[in-house]
Amino acid sequence: MTYRLPLAFGLISPLFLWAGAALVSVPIVIHILNRRRFKIVQWAAMEFLLRAMKKNRRRLRFEQLLLLATRCAVLLLLGLALSRPLGCQDSSLADLAGRRTGLHVFVIGNGYSMAYQAGRAEAKTHLDQAKIIAKALIHRLSSGGESVAIVTASSPPREIIGSPIYDLKAAEDAVDRIDQSWGATDEAGALTLARDIARREPGNSNKSLYLIDDSTRVAWESRGDVMHQLGQELANLYKSGITHFDLGKPGQWNQAIVGLKPADSLITSRFAANFVTDVRGYGPAPTDPKLLLKLDGVTLAPGIVNVHPTAAASPQTITANNLTGGIHVVTASLVSDNRLPVDDVRYRVINVVSQLKVLIVEGERGVGGQGSSGAFLDAALNPSGFGSGDNKSTGYVATERISDLELGNKILGNYRCVCLCGVGEIQESQADQLEQYVRQGGTLMLFMGDPVTAENYNATLYKHHLLPGPLTKRITVSGDEQPRRFDFNPHRPLNRLLADFQNQEDTGMESAEIYSYWQMDLAAKSPAQRVLNFLPPDNAANQPEDPAITVSTLGAGQVVFYATSADPNAEWTTFMPHPAYPALMHMLLLGTTSGDDSWMNIEVESPLMIPPSIQLTGTPVLKDVNQVEYPMELQTVSDNKSVFYGQSAYVSKPLKKPGIYSLSTGAENYKIAVNVPAAQEADVRTIDDAEVQKALGDINVQMLGDSVPAQTVLAEQGRDLGWGVMLAVLVLLGLECVLAMRFGHQRVSGMTRAASGQS
Amino acid sequence: MKSSVSELATDYRRYLEPHTLARIASLDLRARLIVEGLMAGMHRSPYQGISVEFSQHRQYVPGDDTRHVDWKVFAKTDKVYLKQYLEETNLHLICVVDASESMGYSSIGEGSSAWSKYDHATAIAAALAYLAIQQQDSVGLAIFDNELRRYFKPSNSPAQWKTITHELLLVPRLKKTGTGRVLDQLAEKLTHRSLIVFLSDFFDDMESVQNGLRHLRYRKHEVIAFQILDPMEIEFPFEDVTLFKGLEEMGELLTEPQSLRQGYLAELAAYTDQIKKMCRGMHIDFTQVNSRQPLDVVLSSFLAVRAASIR
Repeated sequence: MTYRLPLAFGLISPLFLWAGAALVSVPIVIHILNRRRFKIVQWAAMEFLLRAMKKNRRRLRFEQLLLLATRCAVLLLLGLALSRPLGCQDSSLADLAGRRTGLHVFVIGNGYSMAYQAGRAEAKTHLDQAKIIAKALIHRLSSGGESVAIVTASSPPREIIGSPIYDLKAAEDAVDRIDQSWGATDEAGALTLARDIARREPGNSNKSLYLIDDSTRVAWESRGDVMHQLGQELANLYKSGITHFDLGKPGQWNQAIVGLKPADSLITSRFAANFVTDVRGYGPAPTDPKLLLKLDGVTLAPGIVNVHPTAAASPQTITANNLTGGIHVVTASLVSDNRLPVDDVRYRVINVVSQLKVLIVEGERGVGGQGSSGAFLDAALNPSGFGSGDNKSTGYVATERISDLELGNKILGNYRCVCLCGVGEIQESQADQLEQYVRQGGTLMLFMGDPVTAENYNATLYKHHLLPGPLTKRITVSGDEQPRRFDFNPHRPLNRLLADFQNQEDTGMESAEIYSYWQMDLAAKSPAQRVLNFLPPDNAANQPEDPAITVSTLGAGQVVFYATSADPNAEWTTFMPHPAYPALMHMLLLGTTSGDDSWMNIEVESPLMIPPSIQLTGTPVLKDVNQVEYPMELQTVSDNKSVFYGQSAYVSKPLKKPGIYSLSTGAENYKIAVNVPAAQEADVRTIDDAEVQKALGDINVQMLGDSVPAQTVLAEQGRDLGWGVMLAVLVLLGLECVLAMRFGHQRVSGMTRAASGQS
Repeated sequence: MKSSVSELATDYRRYLEPHTLARIASLDLRARLIVEGLMAGMHRSPYQGISVEFSQHRQYVPGDDTRHVDWKVFAKTDKVYLKQYLEETNLHLICVVDASESMGYSSIGEGSSAWSKYDHATAIAAALAYLAIQQQDSVGLAIFDNELRRYFKPSNSPAQWKTITHELLLVPRLKKTGTGRVLDQLAEKLTHRSLIVFLSDFFDDMESVQNGLRHLRYRKHEVIAFQILDPMEIEFPFEDVTLFKGLEEMGELLTEPQSLRQGYLAELAAYTDQIKKMCRGMHIDFTQVNSRQPLDVVLSSFLAVRAASIR
């Protein structure tokens, strides 16, 4: 219990007190000015006046001081009354006043873990019980004297009532209107809002804070330092006490699917797709759940699968065969009798690519398409279409080869991948287009060649973050030197992009000879992945290895740097005839291109943003599972972390419910998967009171259970002294009148004013 | 001026109002108008009294003394007339007028029409002199401040009245008051028993005043004292902070007069009570005069005293 002085009080509107204090100077100033502004009278009966003055001097001075003090006190007390002074319940001053006053801030958890069905008779979920508690507390407040503010703790936290209101019925109604959010809990964010509300009410010293939630560990311990700091600040602000209502049940448990995604970033109709699920169990579950995966509503083999989830990740992979191109919905669901069903289902929208369009830009053209700098790459990626003239493909890759002079005429968004093969001059505008293309999800593959110059590449591509490091010099093996080789050993751990070469002998990767390549200065801390390096020459074994292939991420896309030529030019490399070459090219392509479906998979409380690259033939219409339409507005993306920053895109309001939404863009229809936040919120394991207190920096918190005690828990209520002080003002005003009359300071009506002899 | 005087003549009561008199520059005219105004309100002339020399007949009006009815005329004419006689007195009236600086205080009127306590005193003195001379009494005049500035022996010649009114206007009012010494001097000068009308604000040392008046009474002179005060001095109605600059070198005082009013009035009342008590002890008729009030009060008091002294 906080110690309080018996007369301690706070002020709701301290400005009035300061104004009153300032006005105290007015009677003093008037008094001084009056002494300076006087009339002059020639007076005959001076002797009587002097005698009267001599006899009454002390009395007059006392009367003047008494009147002055009374008038000053009236102004000061009037300011004090208007500032609404508040005494504490246990203060003697407060006993003189009637109503209780104070600010009561409620932080109510409504993250999706609060949807836990605890089996209470009167409340289905934790949130229902939280509402009952909050309304009961509000019901006990003093109408007109005590105000209420309400904050919800789901992410993002919201001020349901940010400016405290005195209408308690409205406050109860606001509690009733709190929706069950399907987002995560942001306890620190909610406490920050509660802190800000208290700071906005500096005049009210009687502030109480009520935290009503399920005390899950992840909510209270995820942001330790921030919570400690907030705890101290809240303890300083909420002098009347902080009370925590713990709705969590000991031993409550949950099983959830916290992850569902394809194993590869690109799913093609050509190959089978693997889907990885992450099923977890929290708390002492009595039985194990069963897992079921469906593709567009059709159960995937092998059907229902027994799983044994724990709190740690336990991925399950299920394969889907015979996929057709287009948008599909994968649904993973648990068969479980847990009390929090919302996370038993997870959705994934996938875009199965039937044809991966690749644009090959050549810096050198050969006769009849042969011998040019992209011809061999074309043949490797699209062997069936190569040489057919129209490049028609029976495979999953459709290539289009153009000259670098034609690059400016192409809409890059129509291709999943753009390959620059020995392109010599990159214009600034082209570099800018390429950067936008990559940031929006495209893949750029850079192959070197004779026309490439370091000056141009560094001034354009490197400047636009399309090279992970500047090109330094072209390394060329002289006639008497051994050719360079890739640092490749199939029995050592390989980069994920080379996973198919793992333990594969005689792929040709290790025997490929490289005679020339561009050396790149890749910083040690560069985020770019080194997929493959060159072995240093034998006489310089201690030198750092130069990168041969790197992959770097830019926005939503990726850039592949290939240090040597894609062309079987004897001056550069003899790698192309090896069977590993086409395999490597496919690995790089599949590993770095995506199905462009990430925007169709979002979490609850996130807005849907349609990428500008999506062609719209009409105003997009978004509907949730209940066919309720979510309006979409065309906005300029202001989030500088977004890959669409600065561009115009259709954006919806945050989506509130999990499920499969439908989006119509005119000619096209899309599915949008909206899931509950992964992992954290599903963990419904609770912490005890001591741990909650510790999370808040060991401040003084009154810990209560999941109901309001019969005795009031409102420990220290303020009482409004304003009316008492106003009464004192009135008494003083009356006293001032009596004194003024008694002391002869009132105006005498009907008296003849001095005329002659006055100046 | 003529027309204004003729207008004034239609209502004699107005001549007794200070604010009316203040508009008349000539003191002798003031005095005549005062006396005529006073007489107009009387049904019995102050000039007629009990004597042997017949003066005139006057028609009886209810209230007249029936002892003076001329029964012979009644028998002959069947009308009631009264016989009136000229009074025969040897009364010496001395007007003693205070001309100290404090008598110059005025709160009535402004500029040339201001009406000071001294104006009030001179109007009374002139009127009394006029009245006395009309009745063949001798009239003298003494004007003083801290010493006796002017003194004219009593005389009943018509020129005496002119001299008195002339002198009353000439004396400057710049000095302090020295009542006791002046009255002593006057008592030494007067050889006949006289009726002395003392006109002052009495703003002087009480003991000094008392000694002077006692000296006069010792010489068997009849004394009528008029304390002439300005209404502001009586009411003290000031409200705002005021710097009072004392006349007669009394210093100055900056104060809130409202808070000092009660004390001042109490001091004034105590002083006046002291004077009254002193006068009563010496059988001196004392009257406090407000310079805003009409002058008939003063003249009536004088006539009453005079009548009593004749009987």
